[in-house]
Amino acid sequence: MKIVSACVGVVVALLFLVLVVSEPDQDIVAKSPLLGQPAPSVASTTIDGEPFALERRKGSWVVLNFFNSTCVPCINEHDLLVEFAASELANANAAELYTIINDDSSDAVREFFTKNGGTWPKITDDNGTIAVAFGVARVPETWIIDPNGIVRLRITGELSAGLLTEQVNRLREEFVS
Amino acid sequence: MLASAGISGTIGRAFLLVGFIGAIFGAFAAVAGARRNDQQIIRLIPRFATLIFAAAVGAFAAMEYAMITRDFSLAYVQKVGSWSTPALYNFAAVWSALEGSILMWVLILAGYTMAVAIWVRKRMQDVIATWALGVMFIVCAFFFLVSYFPADPFALGPPGVLDGPGPNPLLQNHILVMFHPPILYLGYVGVTVPFAFAIAALITGRVGEGWLVATRRWSLFAWGFLTFGIALGSWWSYEVLGWSGVWAWDPVENASLLPWITGTAYIHSVLVQERRGMLRVWNISLLVATFSLTILGTFLTRSGVLNSVHAFSESGIGAWFLAMFAVVLVVSVGLIGWRGDKLRSPGVIDSPLSREAAFLANNVLFAIFAFVVLLGTVFPLIIEALQDRQIAVGAPFFNKLSMPIGLALLTLMAIAPVLPWRKASTETLRDRLFWPAWCGVAALVASLLLGSYGVAPLLTFTLGGVASGAALRQVVLATRRQGLRGLVGRANGGMIVHLGVILIAVSLGASNSFSKSQELSLVANVEAQFSGHTFELRDVVEVRDDRSISVKALVLVDGKKIYAPAITKYTRIGMNVGTPSVRTSLTTDIYLTLEPPVRQDSNEARIKVFIKPMIMWLWIGTALMAIGTVLAAFPGRRRKPTEPTSAPVEVAKS
Amino acid sequence: MKTRRSIWLAMFLLVGVLLVFGASRSGGPLTQQDRIDAITLNLACPTCSGESIYVSRAPASESIRSEVARQVASGLRTDDEIVSYIEQRFGGQVLLVPRASGVDSLVWALPVAALIFSAFLLFTAFSKWRTNKPTSPTLEDEQIVAQALKNQAESESK
Repeated sequence: MKIVSACVGVVVALLFLVLVVSEPDQDIVAKSPLLGQPAPSVASTTIDGEPFALERRKGSWVVLNFFNSTCVPCINEHDLLVEFAASELANANAAELYTIINDDSSDAVREFFTKNGGTWPKITDDNGTIAVAFGVARVPETWIIDPNGIVRLRITGELSAGLLTEQVNRLREEFVS
Repeated sequence: MLASAGISGTIGRAFLLVGFIGAIFGAFAAVAGARRNDQQIIRLIPRFATLIFAAAVGAFAAMEYAMITRDFSLAYVQKVGSWSTPALYNFAAVWSALEGSILMWVLILAGYTMAVAIWVRKRMQDVIATWALGVMFIVCAFFFLVSYFPADPFALGPPGVLDGPGPNPLLQNHILVMFHPPILYLGYVGVTVPFAFAIAALITGRVGEGWLVATRRWSLFAWGFLTFGIALGSWWSYEVLGWSGVWAWDPVENASLLPWITGTAYIHSVLVQERRGMLRVWNISLLVATFSLTILGTFLTRSGVLNSVHAFSESGIGAWFLAMFAVVLVVSVGLIGWRGDKLRSPGVIDSPLSREAAFLANNVLFAIFAFVVLLGTVFPLIIEALQDRQIAVGAPFFNKLSMPIGLALLTLMAIAPVLPWRKASTETLRDRLFWPAWCGVAALVASLLLGSYGVAPLLTFTLGGVASGAALRQVVLATRRQGLRGLVGRANGGMIVHLGVILIAVSLGASNSFSKSQELSLVANVEAQFSGHTFELRDVVEVRDDRSISVKALVLVDGKKIYAPAITKYTRIGMNVGTPSVRTSLTTDIYLTLEPPVRQDSNEARIKVFIKPMIMWLWIGTALMAIGTVLAAFPGRRRKPTEPTSAPVEVAKS
Repeated sequence: MKTRRSIWLAMFLLVGVLLVFGASRSGGPLTQQDRIDAITLNLACPTCSGESIYVSRAPASESIRSEVARQVASGLRTDDEIVSYIEQRFGGQVLLVPRASGVDSLVWALPVAALIFSAFLLFTAFSKWRTNKPTSPTLEDEQIVAQALKNQAESESK
């Protein structure tokens, strides 16, 4: 009897300890097995029908934003992306911004961008092949890829003001190309 | 409308506060009355119970009023209310998110407190009842407080909101959301009553069998509703979620299963205590475990440490429930330790081949089962704490481990009902199991003839056959002796419940092992074939209302009837919800889902077809369980006080 | 009695033979759909904890499901390779079945340990009970039984 009570006591105490230390995960800069790895190959077309291949963007920093026009955080962060794109124009080593459409029709996306601005290319992703290749869990997600085609950063969830510029600048300094 | 804005919030909060104060006073009255045995104070207790029940009803009504009048001044209404939600779903929207479901918990708990107060009114001299009510008041106070502070459903939201998104789409497209949560909660919250009596028995030191017998029906009531609630949840999953399954082992489901497992162990082992006076510590521990698992389950699923599909949003509620969990455990374990000497069991189990030994084995299996489910549910947290690494533990793990446990339980169900108390000889066993065993053989042969294969399902069918033979034997013997009275009472009603469980086990075995599925790309008016059935797409239509756009594929199955699986886009939330369409029969269900992407103007559609055997028997088994539970609640054949209680039952002479 | 025993023996033999026969049967060759279902049953939906891709209707799960379907259809990868493709992208948390190595193996080992432990406890309890069996109920036992019966009679007469 005593052995049972002791065992149950220890198990419950350990369980309690685990529960106390566990916290909801809320990191904005997320983990991914792809960090530090070559980016998956991406070959698709823009909504205007032009071919797009990620491999051919080597030599410049690339920011991929996975997007759906009905997702509320995506809509919320859109102005920040427009701002970011504008500020990058002034930079000699400018990062290229691409929207990867996630589970949404081209028409809806075109309409959204006409209304809210943003002239960068929007890449179609039928069946979510690109999203799966990157391991995108829930839009919006923003990924930064360096000029050598190595994945450097994954941001999940809505961007906060200045975050993207800050991170891109930090990475540009860290990995001078 | 605007004039009333915020009023229901103020009223609701006032009710919660009154309820909290009432519960505190009630607790004090109960403790003081019980300690001094002061009848004057004790007589006040039912009034406090009435007061907190009235307060809980008031708060709940205020919430319903706010939801029905779409009082968007409240944050909760902003979150789950919408002008476009139909009245029925809007009514159910009250319990569709965290704060409201805690409010429903408060309401049901206060209801139980009042019911117990009324029930014990005539036996208020008994201090156990007074102490038990004291415990219930304390639990009530905790929940009123949670509802008042961290999970306040009446908190004001940002001003200027005129409409909201409505409840989660999954909670507004099937009528079961009206019934599944309240019924589940009746069971989930109901375990508080036997727990309170167990604590009261420990406090008073009257740990004999009296309180057990007294609370027998309360336990059965709670267990019955928990069972029924879980079954309704499975049905909802099958009808709504579109993956053709009934149980996904997600954390919220596990949270409701855990108290069910320990509760089931309890309603078995309690028989040993009533009969033999044994397993006292064990039974009290099971009640403590059952109650604390409801608290722990709420912590796990509502605090955001595990995010499940049921997705209640994160809030500060976690720390409260964790603290409550700790308090419940420390107090209960302390009390058990304090009363340890009185809890020592007087009897021994004579033989491993006896009814009580079978109950003991049953309890060990249920304890391991509960351990497995709990371990699997919290294991990701353990790994995260140890190694800061994320992993997932899901259905394949639980299925793999629960299968042998289930088979072992079926084996026990086959043998235990024919075992006499105290001691059985292999002779009796051989004799009594003769016909049940042939039932098993018959089940095996029949399932082989129907084309079954694989060891696990065949063992399930065979053992199911033996177990149902054993259960039927008991029912037949009892009715032969006592007529229709042989159907009521714990032992006989229990056997009906067993029959239901066996049906469920067999149908789960069949549907998990022998389902077939195929994705079909259908083109209008061209027949496709799968597994001996034909499917023909007739049309793709679009139905719009002001909350959703629904695309339906009209599919003619076997040239007879049209079924219409659909995908509905809830425009306010931007979420797609699939609605399966099922052709049900006693033997096989044909389960159709429409697969995205869909276009209403096209003459093509991708359909996934699941052919699932014996699903109907899940619901029949559930119904049998419900009927058996009701029968078990009626008093059975009264044993004469002069009869020696531990002698083998008369059934022996068959 | 002898005949009964032989009937039992025959029955066990029959059940054994039938089970072996049933175990050696199979449900026909695996279709592509079976492969897709088997793979997705063992992958976790990345946005909802504890659910498989097979169960989940979340957008991310739909994407992964169609990716799995695509790879199965192309026939270039085995099931394990497809699973590890997904794992390389999403991380270890998409594996719904914990590995049987390292700390993760605890999730498999602990239930087995619990089983062995409780079997051991039952065994020692029974052997203890067998050695010191009280010959007759103690006074205390009888009081308890009497009390319980009284309570039951009371509660049922109400």
